Amino acid sequence: MNEHTLAYLDQDSLFHRADALSKLLWVVVVIVLAFQTTTMEARGILLAALLVIALLFARVPLSVILKASPLIFGVALLLGLFHFFVTPGEPIFTFGPLHGSQEGLVKGAGYFFRLAIMVLVSFIFIWTTNIRELMVGLTKLGIPYRYAFAIFTALRFLPIIQQEVDAVQAAHAIRGRAARSPWAHRFRLWQRYLFTVIVNGLRKAENTALAIESRGFGAYPTRTYVKPYRLTFVGVLIVVAFIAAGAGLILWEKGLLVL
Amino acid sequence: MTTPPPTSAEPLVRLSGVTYKHYGKTTPSLVDVNLSIQRGSFTLLVGPSGSGKSTLCMLLNGIVPHILGGKLEGKVVVDGQDVSASKVQDLAHSVGMLFQDPEWMFATLQVEDEVAFGPENLRQDPDKIAEQVTRSLEYVGLNGLRKNLVWALSGGQIQKLGLASVLAMQPALIVLDEPTANLDPATTHAVHQLILRLRDEGKSIVLVTKDLDEFMAQADDLILLDKGRVVAQGTPREVIERHGAEMLDLGVWLPEPTEVGLRLKQRGLFDGQVPITVSEAADAFGGFNFLEGRTRPEVPTRGEVLVRAENLRFGYNKKSRALRGVSFEIRQGEIAAIVGQNGAGKSTLSKLLVGLLKPTGGDLTLFGRKARQWTVQDLANDIALVFQNPEHQFLTDTVKEELEYSLLAQGIDDPDEVHKRVQAMLKRLEISESEGHPFALSAGAKRRLGVATMLVGGRARLLIVDEPTYGQDKRLTESLMELINTLRKEGITVLMITHDMRLVDAHIDRAIVMADGEKVFDGTPSQLFSSPEVVERASLRPTALRRLTDELRARGKSVPHGLNTVEAFVEAMTP
Repeated sequence: MNEHTLAYLDQDSLFHRADALSKLLWVVVVIVLAFQTTTMEARGILLAALLVIALLFARVPLSVILKASPLIFGVALLLGLFHFFVTPGEPIFTFGPLHGSQEGLVKGAGYFFRLAIMVLVSFIFIWTTNIRELMVGLTKLGIPYRYAFAIFTALRFLPIIQQEVDAVQAAHAIRGRAARSPWAHRFRLWQRYLFTVIVNGLRKAENTALAIESRGFGAYPTRTYVKPYRLTFVGVLIVVAFIAAGAGLILWEKGLLVL
Repeated sequence: MTTPPPTSAEPLVRLSGVTYKHYGKTTPSLVDVNLSIQRGSFTLLVGPSGSGKSTLCMLLNGIVPHILGGKLEGKVVVDGQDVSASKVQDLAHSVGMLFQDPEWMFATLQVEDEVAFGPENLRQDPDKIAEQVTRSLEYVGLNGLRKNLVWALSGGQIQKLGLASVLAMQPALIVLDEPTANLDPATTHAVHQLILRLRDEGKSIVLVTKDLDEFMAQADDLILLDKGRVVAQGTPREVIERHGAEMLDLGVWLPEPTEVGLRLKQRGLFDGQVPITVSEAADAFGGFNFLEGRTRPEVPTRGEVLVRAENLRFGYNKKSRALRGVSFEIRQGEIAAIVGQNGAGKSTLSKLLVGLLKPTGGDLTLFGRKARQWTVQDLANDIALVFQNPEHQFLTDTVKEELEYSLLAQGIDDPDEVHKRVQAMLKRLEISESEGHPFALSAGAKRRLGVATMLVGGRARLLIVDEPTYGQDKRLTESLMELINTLRKEGITVLMITHDMRLVDAHIDRAIVMADGEKVFDGTPSQLFSSPEVVERASLRPTALRRLTDELRARGKSVPHGLNTVEAFVEAMTP
């Protein structure tokens, strides 16, 4: 079976053992840190720490990280480059009509790190969290289960859409190329991917909705749970450790902490 | 709710004067349907594609009309509840439904969570649910996999999980809509055995399936639908006796021994009771003799080698070994099939052949060139692959443009030539909606268009068709096979990937059998079905016609080899 880039990975790791709500809080802590840190070094450390966590403490295979890297780093890189070139300032790099400035470099790098950190931390969450547990956790916080389940459904559909895109791409590839220019061809295919994936995606979403409702989903305002939600020590420890490490990082950045 | 509580004498399901029109449709999907289903009965629902089987199933649990909308007339009462006045969620207490592709019905990630999902929604006591989950998983034989992710299950296990999820809700009625449509023959048999066990335990079951041969003698009722109307309802034997010929005309898949009996009756050669099982057929046809020389020759074609695989290996990642050293040749003019259990490596092999995947070991030569040197697009001129879901292949907004695209892709851009070829292909396919959207075609027309887009350019030499019979009734399958056979006569080599043993027996010269990523057999269908160890290892099952032939031979009849189709079998029979 193909590895899913955007789905829960069945592993036994520290992060897999942590409870979903603690991990959700951890995601928030990391995102706050990405915005509270101001230097490239601090954000670089944060991003590197997340990569180490993904590989060692969440046991995410390197191949999965590499496969997801266009989403984690590619989009962030584009955003970074955009800011590098559009931020006004003294040019330090010229490419045709484009001028990149020192100010742009700082701003672009800032955007790159922030976005990459946000996407990577979300991926680690998806890779290590059984979404059902998250759903049960959210209901414990008072969120009606229909809404909590909506989050699950959205996440569940990511790998399904990915499979659909793969299947459509394969089917299109063997149709050959009708346009003279490769760009016109690519444009045409992209239009079609969207159409086919959306049509089939909606059809599948409808089937899922039918199936779930016919299993009594939404019959009552509440439901029972065989596995009650349990806050884990590991989860709490991860959050506390990250708050402490994050505070240290910010203090170090401000020169208030010398290593 | 005004409906009185059910009494034991009252049927579990009663439909009175039911007409239903899907939202936005002008013609109704169900027309004046009157029927009843008794508690504890086992009902088969049959009919050609588009006859309203799935709509009727969805009516029983309220999806129709509550979720799908549309207009419902008449009265539907299920387990004492008026469907129009009840919510789908309330009906979930009474009706459990297993869909064709239960992967879509899964709401959670883990096997045991999935089974618990329904009872949790119905607010059952957690301790009781836990017991129910274990019991249901044990029932279907999945308890050992309860901690597994649902994605990691095989096709058969997914269906069993779907069944366990339905059982855990303890519904009064279990509705199964083509639960084995995409399973290999042995897994289909295993799921059938589970269904029969439920039936023996007195569960009320409605089953839609094209694999009737294991159920005809076991079912209490058979309902025949056509164009939304109930054509017949009665015991399978009664319906076959009175409406058998009509069922053949409608394109309903019937067990081959039954079809033989009906065909003999049509010819006036048989006037006994039409058999519904293999052993009944062996009894009924014991007085017939079989003529030699009416068989389709099973001679391997020795044309030019188009594909040569030597020790071909492929893995999706370091751990997986989808193909473990497969060697074979495919020659010009052959019609061959790749068969084997779900996950045996059949689809991987077809993707390697069209260049979507590249070998990770061994050699694959396509039309004299190494596979690694081909690009998918260059190869597309020589090899055509028709996917199981033809919608994935469509690239334009009309049927005509779809064919034009294929011609342009092959460098044919002269407008007159394009017009001529498109018109010729449309005529041949019997598709009149040339301006219609490909997605709006009927299931059969979509499959035919899928084949046409691949072949309209006239350069393809090898046609690969993935599951030609999937989701199609007998008549649609026959029309597709007719098209494929004509193409073959024109010199196109055909390779099918299929679970359908009838298709293999009736149309194929050569079967390449895969099991666990290895080729375990390469030979004619007759040789295959006389190798029980291969059949077992590859999760195959001889057709009912083969079993009938074996049974007749065991009783001392001389039945010639090669009577692989009902037509050939009947043709050879003489009183």
